[in-house]
Amino acid sequence: MIWEVFRQKKTGEYHTHCGNVHAPDREMAKLFAQIQHGRRKPTNSLWVVPQEEVGEVDAEETSFGGTTDKSYRWSTAYNIEPPAKEVEESANEQAEAERQRGDS
Amino acid sequence: MNIDEVKERAGPREFNPGDDLPEEYRKAATRMIQFHANSEIMGAYLERPFIRQSPSIDRKLAFSAKVQDEIGHGQFLYRAAESLGIKTREEMLDELANGKGKFLNCFHYPMENWAEIPMIAFFVDGAAMRRQATLKRTSWEPYAHAMDKICFEEGFHVKHGESIMRELATGSKKEQEMLQDAFDEWWPRIIQFFGPSDDKSTHHDFAAEVGLKTMTNDELRNAFLNQYLPKARKYNLEIPDEPRIRENDDGTFEIEEDDLDWDEFFTIAKNDYEPGVGQIEGRANAQEAVEWVRDAIEGDDQPTAGHTPTAAD
Repeated sequence: MIWEVFRQKKTGEYHTHCGNVHAPDREMAKLFAQIQHGRRKPTNSLWVVPQEEVGEVDAEETSFGGTTDKSYRWSTAYNIEPPAKEVEESANEQAEAERQRGDS
Repeated sequence: MNIDEVKERAGPREFNPGDDLPEEYRKAATRMIQFHANSEIMGAYLERPFIRQSPSIDRKLAFSAKVQDEIGHGQFLYRAAESLGIKTREEMLDELANGKGKFLNCFHYPMENWAEIPMIAFFVDGAAMRRQATLKRTSWEPYAHAMDKICFEEGFHVKHGESIMRELATGSKKEQEMLQDAFDEWWPRIIQFFGPSDDKSTHHDFAAEVGLKTMTNDELRNAFLNQYLPKARKYNLEIPDEPRIRENDDGTFEIEEDDLDWDEFFTIAKNDYEPGVGQIEGRANAQEAVEWVRDAIEGDDQPTAGHTPTAAD
């Protein structure tokens, strides 16, 4: 049985996928995950999830973000000087996401 | 963990559903996050009728996207609240419908015209964002994670809100007058957004001690005034004479608290303010009207048998 492994580096951070392990049950999966994924890299917590329980939808199957122009949904569409630091940070995160999606 | 250990360990994103936390912490966090979630939903319901009044197709698209986002924020927050194990999402939605659920003062007031939209979409959203940015460091990890996603989206909301305000402020004389009227009416409510000053706030001390809140009402109000008063002036809005605001040399502000209507504020806080009661009932009716959709999704009922679907509005 295959178990997908998610590692959290520090308290409060997100668990992100880091690989998988072969194990007959949950207890063994937790042990193997520690050995294979928790030893060298900074680790605060690990999750193990049976691979068959993971549902997936990918970019071939759907169009993430829709098929029409939704530029109005992004702060980059508005020529406005951000009123506050937190608005500017949010706008920067959005601009970065836009760049990574390849929209701009 | 007992409450002293909680206070000892309290810090940003320190506690998660895997921790054994005392009921006192979980109840305080539930009250705070449920209030926040309810506010997202009630704000969205207040703005929703104005999607149809948008002055252009661009505004209509953006404004409906914004309202949709707010409903989504409510969903994240009910999840974060539910993960404390005190109330289920269903219980919280029922409490909102039956008038027990509390929410932000600004969303108890009726809105009548498009010129009022920037009061919510710029000033109230801006105030909310100021507060939410500090909640990225709250001690309940699922709440902080919800804030990551919410703050990511809010940048668009606030800039779009300001864009609407700029359009009105640079529009016809009539539009400018309507904007000023809206501002006169909403300004005291916006100041009250942050609640009473620190020495009158009832829940602050405990929430701060266990790391749920990271800034006081006064600190947040100061930061808001610092950033948003200049914006109001930039669009030639005349700041109402009351509440009197004194600007100190160190960049902080003092509000003459007696200039604000605290009787109304606390009537609202008890869900007893008449227009707000109507808004709670309006949302409850909408929730009931689409029960057949939920039943159909859950698949445990025959939704169309003998039942005529009704529109949510």
